[in-house]
Amino acid sequence: MSEKNIILSVKDLVVKFKVRDRVLTAIRNISMDFEEGKVVAIVGESGSGKSVFTKTFTGMLDLNGEITNGSIMFEGQDLAKMTKDSDWEKIRGKKIATVFQDPMTSLNPVKTIGDQIAEVIIKHQGKSKAEAKEMAIELMGKVGIVNPELRFDEYPFMYSGGMRQRMVIAIALACRPRILICDEPTTALDVTIQAQIIRLIKDLSMEYGFTTIYITHDLGVVANVADVVAVMYAGQIIEYGQVNEIFYDSRHPYTWGLLSSLPQLGEKGEELFAIRGTPPSLFEEIKGDAFAPRNNYALKIDYEQEPPFFKVTDTHYAKTWLLDPRAPKVDPPAAVRELHDRMLVLTAKGGIYGEH
Amino acid sequence: MKKYILTRIVKSIFSIFIVVSVVLVMIYTLIPRNKIFDNDPAIKKMKDDALVTYKNGKLDELGYLDYIKKPEMCQVTFGTDGYEACLVNGSEEQKTALAAYESKGYEIMYLPKSNDPYAIHDFSWFELLTHFYGKLFAVDGVNKIQDPDNPDLERKYYWGKHPTNGTPALLCSGCQYKYQLYFDGSFPFIHQNKLRLDFGTSYPINSGIPTMQVIGEGQGSAKKTKQNFETGAVEDSALIQTTCQYKFTTDHIDAKYFNDKYANCLSAHKDPSMINTSYIIGIISLLLAYVVALPAGISMAQHKDGIIDKIGIAYINMLIAIPSLAFIFFMRSIGTNFGLPDKFPQLGFGDLRSYIMPTLILALLSTPGLMMWLRRYMIDQSNSDYVKFARAKGLSQKEIFNRHILKNAIIPIVNGIPGSIILCISGALITESAFAVPGMGKMLPDALRQKNNTMVITLVFIFTTLSIFSVLAGDLLMTVVDPRISLTAKGGE
Repeated sequence: MSEKNIILSVKDLVVKFKVRDRVLTAIRNISMDFEEGKVVAIVGESGSGKSVFTKTFTGMLDLNGEITNGSIMFEGQDLAKMTKDSDWEKIRGKKIATVFQDPMTSLNPVKTIGDQIAEVIIKHQGKSKAEAKEMAIELMGKVGIVNPELRFDEYPFMYSGGMRQRMVIAIALACRPRILICDEPTTALDVTIQAQIIRLIKDLSMEYGFTTIYITHDLGVVANVADVVAVMYAGQIIEYGQVNEIFYDSRHPYTWGLLSSLPQLGEKGEELFAIRGTPPSLFEEIKGDAFAPRNNYALKIDYEQEPPFFKVTDTHYAKTWLLDPRAPKVDPPAAVRELHDRMLVLTAKGGIYGEH
Repeated sequence: MKKYILTRIVKSIFSIFIVVSVVLVMIYTLIPRNKIFDNDPAIKKMKDDALVTYKNGKLDELGYLDYIKKPEMCQVTFGTDGYEACLVNGSEEQKTALAAYESKGYEIMYLPKSNDPYAIHDFSWFELLTHFYGKLFAVDGVNKIQDPDNPDLERKYYWGKHPTNGTPALLCSGCQYKYQLYFDGSFPFIHQNKLRLDFGTSYPINSGIPTMQVIGEGQGSAKKTKQNFETGAVEDSALIQTTCQYKFTTDHIDAKYFNDKYANCLSAHKDPSMINTSYIIGIISLLLAYVVALPAGISMAQHKDGIIDKIGIAYINMLIAIPSLAFIFFMRSIGTNFGLPDKFPQLGFGDLRSYIMPTLILALLSTPGLMMWLRRYMIDQSNSDYVKFARAKGLSQKEIFNRHILKNAIIPIVNGIPGSIILCISGALITESAFAVPGMGKMLPDALRQKNNTMVITLVFIFTTLSIFSVLAGDLLMTVVDPRISLTAKGGE
């Protein structure tokens, strides 16, 4: 591990929210290292804490949220200890940029596109207005805006959804950040545009060499772009590994459930698979494995003691008692076992996730 | 855009027309017409024939009816031949004349004492309207003046000079107004007398003076300035030469100043007109209100739930909760403690102290609404996605508020600005009454109380026009601040 270039290192992170006089623990003891230049995908169902986790990197937690424990080391600084907005301004947008879900509302409707991109350049790089405009136009061309000189002075409502997301990406990349967080960047777009945007982010990450963190619940996107996948459940990372390891050799029953629920894998006429039950309430202390009540493979110990991370390979870890030598041997469900062949079809040229 | 504005203006004019027409018909048909004489002091000394003649003459002048006296009936029916015979009551000729008028829809009545017949035709609502609009637009022209005593009156337009400032002016001989077009330093800088709105004359207060002049003319004592007159006379005079109208019977004093018969001029006054008084107070208070309320609203939104916000909300609640009448009198008594007058006329127009309290009160009264709405709009905006993204871009809270949120939140506020500016003219009823400010505020209630019908209609016309066009101006201004709005007759591009 030591020779790897770690850009962001999270240790024992705990995030709590005050909600109507009750305390909700949204992130429960996450430790994770992000390698420079890699594409990391964080997957999990709604409410698992994906967005909250990445928001801590840019100090964008809602006002009622607070980091109560742990550290986030970035360039020798502990972001978890950072409180002043003026300090955050040197990180946000400049070193760590974020692209949000809905491009239709991410841009200010009454400011020109050009203004919105130039203001970041002026703010973070101290360029003059004219220089910023030149850089902005170049960047607009780079993200695929035709005639950027003409479109510089246009307003967001004159752009289509895909174009706006391109602009949002251009703004996020304006200061050559080291990390780009994409919070479900394609959810609000239609499928063909989705593919273009994913392609664009991929190409740009090669060119600029930034680390990408995807937050998504679309496993298809993950299979297509990610190097590393982290699966989150109830405020914890429960499995972590290379994309192939997660897709074809996953060990955690929750990951199996997620993979089995891929609608693209469903057979015509058959009901789609769904994980039964609902995630646990984060207001209460969770005893044992949070996934146990929904787990078909739950062991007795799952209800009593939280499992540690078991090492599968050097890059693959899973947090389940099934990996304990004393645990009974179980096979993943059929859908997961056949996943490899299925995914090959889907990601092949002409498949749903294939290159267009 | 042009097409849209044009259709909006046409629609606006149509709305004004409808409103004025409805008010006109209501006033003339629903208010008992005898009521209009209640406040006329002249009527107290009259009785019998004189009273009837006077009342009918006034009603005719105010446009209620067509009143025709005996001599006119005889004149119209017979000309010179048989005119004398017609004047004799009970003669055949007179009967013919009366019959002729009766057949035209007139009602024949008789004076109580002399028993002289006269004819009256009450206007229907339709006739009321046609008469009103028929004379509303008074267009001046070279053939306007027909003076039998001055048959050689030249009829021409010619270029001349403004009598006091020397700028070129278009003059006319034969028109009602001598100065048709001229420039000077007072708003709107270009003045014309070619087309004027004639709403009739005020009655019973300011009887015989056109309503527009009552509203627009200065108040107080005459203000004399040194002027050169065309006769070569140089004298301190209050006459405003550019307002001179044709005078049918000039006297030797007129001859001292004027070579021609355009000697019927308005006088300059020391104090501003009612409309200007209200406008001065209104505009200053408006400015004050915006200067105070906008920054206050912004900082309240910026420090939501903080101490500034809480103080602001307490202030807003207090001002909204206290009845404005109580607030005005409370503030007035505070003002007197500081030596400020509690009535405007105490110190009058010349003294700045007269203006302080009315202006301050008006400003304070309009701050809570502005602050509350701006705060509301800004907080609404600060929860939107583009603000989140702006934060992620690394902009500071201040930059986000000033560059992003304010621009969005100000849009609905901007829409109301032209309205506030324009409607300052209409004055503030309660505040002006409390301080006895001679402004527009109590004009309409006064006119209503005095049954000054022409004045009521004039004011309705002015206020309607201003309101409608201020909405239009607000919409136009909104296109400037919000690029998403484009005003087109057909809909988006």
